[in-house]
Amino acid sequence: MSDKSSLEAEVAKLIVQTLNLKIDPVQIQPEQPLFGEGLGLDSIDALELSLAISQSYGYQIRSDDSDAVATFASLRSLCKSIEKNRTK
Amino acid sequence: MNTAALLGPCHPDRALAWENGHPITYRRFLSEVATLADQLPEKPTVINLADNRYRFLVGLAAALVRGQTTLLPPSRAPRALVQIAREYGNSYCLAVDQETIEGLPTCHIPKGEWSATQHARVPQIPVDHTAVVAFTSGSTGSPRPNPKAWGSLVAVARSTGARLGLKASNHLTVVATVPHQHMYGLEATIMLPIQHGMAFHVGRPLFPEDVRLALTEVPSPRFLVTTPLHIRACVTACTRLPQMECILSATAPLPISLAKKAETLFQTGVYEVYGFTEAGSLATRRTVADETWHVLDGITLHHESGRCFLRAPYLPEPVLFPDLVSLQGPHRFVLHSRGADLVNIGGHRISLGDLNHKLNEIEGVQDGVFFLPDDTGTSVTRLMAFAVAPGKSTEQILSALRDVIDPVFLPRPLHVVPNLPRNETGKLTREALLGLLRERHGLDRHGA
Repeated sequence: MSDKSSLEAEVAKLIVQTLNLKIDPVQIQPEQPLFGEGLGLDSIDALELSLAISQSYGYQIRSDDSDAVATFASLRSLCKSIEKNRTK
Repeated sequence: MNTAALLGPCHPDRALAWENGHPITYRRFLSEVATLADQLPEKPTVINLADNRYRFLVGLAAALVRGQTTLLPPSRAPRALVQIAREYGNSYCLAVDQETIEGLPTCHIPKGEWSATQHARVPQIPVDHTAVVAFTSGSTGSPRPNPKAWGSLVAVARSTGARLGLKASNHLTVVATVPHQHMYGLEATIMLPIQHGMAFHVGRPLFPEDVRLALTEVPSPRFLVTTPLHIRACVTACTRLPQMECILSATAPLPISLAKKAETLFQTGVYEVYGFTEAGSLATRRTVADETWHVLDGITLHHESGRCFLRAPYLPEPVLFPDLVSLQGPHRFVLHSRGADLVNIGGHRISLGDLNHKLNEIEGVQDGVFFLPDDTGTSVTRLMAFAVAPGKSTEQILSALRDVIDPVFLPRPLHVVPNLPRNETGKLTREALLGLLRERHGLDRHGA
């Protein structure tokens, strides 16, 4: 099990709150896939999550970012994109 | 033989589609359709998997030219595709990329092969030819086919266009957040444009920023075809969208307050279209102005034994409304609620009976039930489920479900329980399920 950075812990909490998931944020592994077999998120969640991220970090996610698939691959990749693009 | 043209009035050198900021003309489209039609295998039915809206249309049109029927599977879940493929054994699949369906031969839609000198003849399609088969979720667990004659698709497109005041001289370009493999998407983003000399963006933007970029990639005047979910996202993000002629929404009722905000923020009219797979689009309203829905020209409504039916010249028989409505004469109605068995999750509709059937078919599941908890008003309300499945974990059951249903319908959460609180007649009441849920929450809190 790999340790979470403080941003990862914060975003894990944001994911659980935004999507009303019935899990403890600490259970989200940084490298676990967010969609499909992993956390089981879908496009409705992606949309909800993009809004929460834009409100918290001022980062407007778009799917034609060259690394769009990579952005949502895992908590870790999402946090890397937030780090790179955040305006607040 | 009665026929209707593939295209409405249009100029061959105007854009039909916009891809990466470049136009694809109607002339090129007709050439590509003729080329592909010659290459299609001799089979009656086809599953068109193209995600690119233009490639999908080239495949659909080529199939029409060859007298073939395009099947629109209810979901892209692997088993759902295989099930349709099994029922329509003599099918093939049309794809742009490497995607295939187990057990079906694949034909590839070529990218951009066309001849500018080819004569741009518009094909005529018999009006009674079954152009597409859309599937609805039935309570029995197997998808129910809804064949759509070419004449009915054209009639719905023309009457919707007349209501919205669309004509070739408007030169509108559609940008759509909805998939073209469902009835609303097919009607509003494929049939409406081709029958009115309009153009469309080939993509399907998801995030507000995607929607903004797609809109800026196409020329004005623009027409956004979307859902309440995407409208809410763009309003919440305060996205500065380019000037639009009109926004069209469907798949779930649009709250008036949201429509008002969208009209103010985006400085345009927000319209809704109401329909269901069995009948197609059938009514419209401008949400901020009217609670009442106005049916499209040619449609009439009537009550019979307490139920509401509609008739249209292109429907072989009266069709029953799946939702609760009250009529205000033969041409107007107010929508009250969705039928009890139908649930709508973020614009995706399914029958609870169908979901229950699929859950109970999973190996090791002895009893199971889905239900929709009360709306909390925060985010999209998701389904929950209980399953009696000794020796099975929630992960195993979820994994099996993922194979057969769309991810939006996966239960959140799924509780594995020793038994379900069925009453003496074997029924599960909502109260009993809510009680079971409270009990589970109590157990979870105490770490059991």
